[in-house]
Amino acid sequence: MVEYAWLVPLLPLVAYVFLLVLGRRAPEGIVAGVSVVLTFAAFLISALVFRSVGQSPDQTGPYVFHWLTVGTHSFTVGFEVTHLNALMLVVVSLVSTLVLLFSKGYMHGDERFPVFYQYLNLFVFSMLALVISPNLLQLYIFWEMVGLCSYLLVGFWYFKPEAALAAKKSFIVTRIGDVGLFTGIILLFLASGSFDYSTVFTAAAAHKLSLGWISNDHLVTLAAILIFVGAVGKSAQFPLHVWLPDAMEGPTPVSALIHAATMVAAGVYLVARCYPLFQLSPAALSTVAWIGGITALLAALIALTQRDIKRVIAYSTISQLGYMMMALGVGAYAYGVFHLMTHAFFKALLFLAAGSVIHALDTQDLFEMGGLYKKMKLTAWTFLAGALALAGIVPFAGFWSKDDILAAALESGHTVLYVFGLIAAFCTAFYIFRVYFLTFTGQPRDPARHEHAHEGSWVMTLPLVVLAVLATIGGFFNTPFNGYGLERYLFADSPQGAIGATTPENVGLMVLSVLVGLAGIGLAALMYWRPAIQPEKLARSLGFLYQLSFRKFYLDEIYYAIVVATGKAIAAIVDFVDRYIIDGIVRLVARIVATIGLGLKYTQTGQIQAYTAVAAFGVLILVAWAMWSIGGVL
Amino acid sequence: MFPIPTGSLLALGAILFCIGLYGALTKRNLIIVLVSIELMLNAANINLVTFSRLGVGPNISGQVFALFTITVAAAEIAVGLALLLAIFRVRKTTEVQDLNVHKH
Amino acid sequence: MTFFLNAPMIGFYIIALFILGCAVMLLSFQRVIYMALAIGGVFIGCAAIYILLGADFVGVAQLLIYAGAITILIMFAIMLTNHEAADPPHKWTVRNILSAVAAVLLGAVLLLVIRSTTWPPEVEADVNGGNSNPVAVGLALFQNYTVPFELVSLLLIVGMVGAVILARERKEDEEE
Repeated sequence: MVEYAWLVPLLPLVAYVFLLVLGRRAPEGIVAGVSVVLTFAAFLISALVFRSVGQSPDQTGPYVFHWLTVGTHSFTVGFEVTHLNALMLVVVSLVSTLVLLFSKGYMHGDERFPVFYQYLNLFVFSMLALVISPNLLQLYIFWEMVGLCSYLLVGFWYFKPEAALAAKKSFIVTRIGDVGLFTGIILLFLASGSFDYSTVFTAAAAHKLSLGWISNDHLVTLAAILIFVGAVGKSAQFPLHVWLPDAMEGPTPVSALIHAATMVAAGVYLVARCYPLFQLSPAALSTVAWIGGITALLAALIALTQRDIKRVIAYSTISQLGYMMMALGVGAYAYGVFHLMTHAFFKALLFLAAGSVIHALDTQDLFEMGGLYKKMKLTAWTFLAGALALAGIVPFAGFWSKDDILAAALESGHTVLYVFGLIAAFCTAFYIFRVYFLTFTGQPRDPARHEHAHEGSWVMTLPLVVLAVLATIGGFFNTPFNGYGLERYLFADSPQGAIGATTPENVGLMVLSVLVGLAGIGLAALMYWRPAIQPEKLARSLGFLYQLSFRKFYLDEIYYAIVVATGKAIAAIVDFVDRYIIDGIVRLVARIVATIGLGLKYTQTGQIQAYTAVAAFGVLILVAWAMWSIGGVL
Repeated sequence: MFPIPTGSLLALGAILFCIGLYGALTKRNLIIVLVSIELMLNAANINLVTFSRLGVGPNISGQVFALFTITVAAAEIAVGLALLLAIFRVRKTTEVQDLNVHKH
Repeated sequence: MTFFLNAPMIGFYIIALFILGCAVMLLSFQRVIYMALAIGGVFIGCAAIYILLGADFVGVAQLLIYAGAITILIMFAIMLTNHEAADPPHKWTVRNILSAVAAVLLGAVLLLVIRSTTWPPEVEADVNGGNSNPVAVGLALFQNYTVPFELVSLLLIVGMVGAVILARERKEDEEE
């Protein structure tokens, strides 16, 4: 089955080409139907691949064919299925199917409906192809393609200035990371002469990666950190996280698919895929861990006070991605990937549920919602499942993965990171239930909008239900009850001494994290459900701290001041140089030529005999020179 | 022993060629310019015929080439004079200087 | 100085002087019609040189085509245009000086080259292969140079048709 894994990305590509041929006026039913069916087929194949990889791990090897030869290097393209890939294929294709189905309802009536599906299919193709790339070069190509699709989809409603700006911002900020990734790939290529994962990792493990100016150990650290920079950009880690909240200007299904479940997880996947490299460099690993921990905490703090429902969830995504990075950084490879999976389910669920709410109310402001439980019971229940999973309440999916990460952090001696994670967990529980209470309980704050709110059709509710089920039970893939099935699965192909494979369950820690989560929920309930505490008062009494969170730690402003202002200053200098020095030289050259031309104008008399005379002189000179060089004449 | 030295014949051709060149470069009347070019062609013909009789490899080919040259010259002068007539009909002049279409 | 005594030598010098004299007259005449007469002299002198060199057929062809046809053609052209035309008195303009310098220098270079070359002795060579000259030329034309010969005849046809088309009076010319 594994050798048919190439079909998985191919099917969405077929859908994309098909939609492209159908054009912009294609009926919605056909567009969505074809997309969903083909992607679902891709999901089925993925599931079969996943199973057969688990059964016979020896047939996963890269299937490549020769692409081109440059000098002495030859490049290959193809695909490779590892246990990690197989899991990613399943997650991506499953979430994609559900989101494509959901979009049918959400985007109904949009005049560029087919275009939206084209972009989505292109994205799904790119993402799946990224996952099964057997070498870094191919990965980079699809890495850029998912970035492009993200750009197109964030800016889908390009006529909204914010959307156009957000699209540009997301593209440019992730590019900063991409430069790092690209540099890292080139560095590894220079040192090893190959883009293939296995070749690079083998050479790194054998201490053979060195260039004239850098030793093996330093090169591995440098390359790993550069690759991580790419992941930081794509996975919206601090300090490059600023694009993700703005990217919420895109349609909500896009946020669910790209900016929660798949593309932003590509950074985590990349680090996981290059894990053998990271393991060789403790410095790189601890960089990953600290960046992840800081991101988890920072984003959770910001999420506490945001008013926009999607932005809260976006910061939550950043925070959860931080958790995954932290897990990878402290060595808990399997838990990072496990959390990636559960997060994909419950975060896609939260986004889609939020999308359902937005679809019903046509607003994203939390303080214009309220009391929706009565009108949208299904959305409320599914959202609650996602929220509980996110908050890490037993037995929902998020509990198992998050708890594992925290335990691994503590066990590997990163106490500070553990504390960060615990605080973030508290904040997480608080902010997500703040959203829940503000949206679904209490009285409608905007009766006019509330009036015509209603549940979406089955295409919108079915994905919610499926995801809610997954968010509820998804954690049981990897519990003591099934002997840590996922861990054993994942470690079949990367057994290189990663810790966390069989962390003994620590019931004390589990209880503590559940208690922290419940405390967060309790505080949210006190403030927004049964108002015992006035949020406004609390905000006022916290004053500066509240502003710090509400203004997102002023990071956008700081970036603006530093990066944009510096950029403008440099641009001014460059402008001056260009305008007066480069252009000056150009004008000088032009003027010299023009002057020469003006002078030569007088030789162009139009008298044929004058020209002939000059030609005769030329002949004379040539003949004389020829005679001279023969010699014996003159 | 052939009585006429090769150098003398070639010198005649060379001088005739230079006279023709000067005429072609300076004469104002288009007909005379054409005539001067004929002069240059004749100078070349003298060389061809000379080398068909004297020089390193005397050969009848020189005379054949001279014939070809004469033929081409005949065609050339016919076309040239036809052009001249056409120009004269439009411009009412045969002066080379007046055929300048450059705008200063 | 003994070679001055033989007749062909004397004949050559006379003819050469005649040719050069005609050429110089061509340059110095003012009236166009006299120039045309001078060129006729040059053509006839050249024909004499050819015959002197044993190239009888070329000499006769030269007489017929150049001295006969082309000179007459030029005369007609002059008559059809402004036959009273005269070159203005010679003026030493910059271009004339430059042209003269170019011509004189080119001549000097050529003469020097001719002078400094060692020519093989002027032996009696039989280039006609035992035939008379016209027969030899004819054989060469139709044996070795058939294709060029046919091409030249094509050229003549094209030249003739072109000349007719160019010289023809056209309606648009009359309208001007």
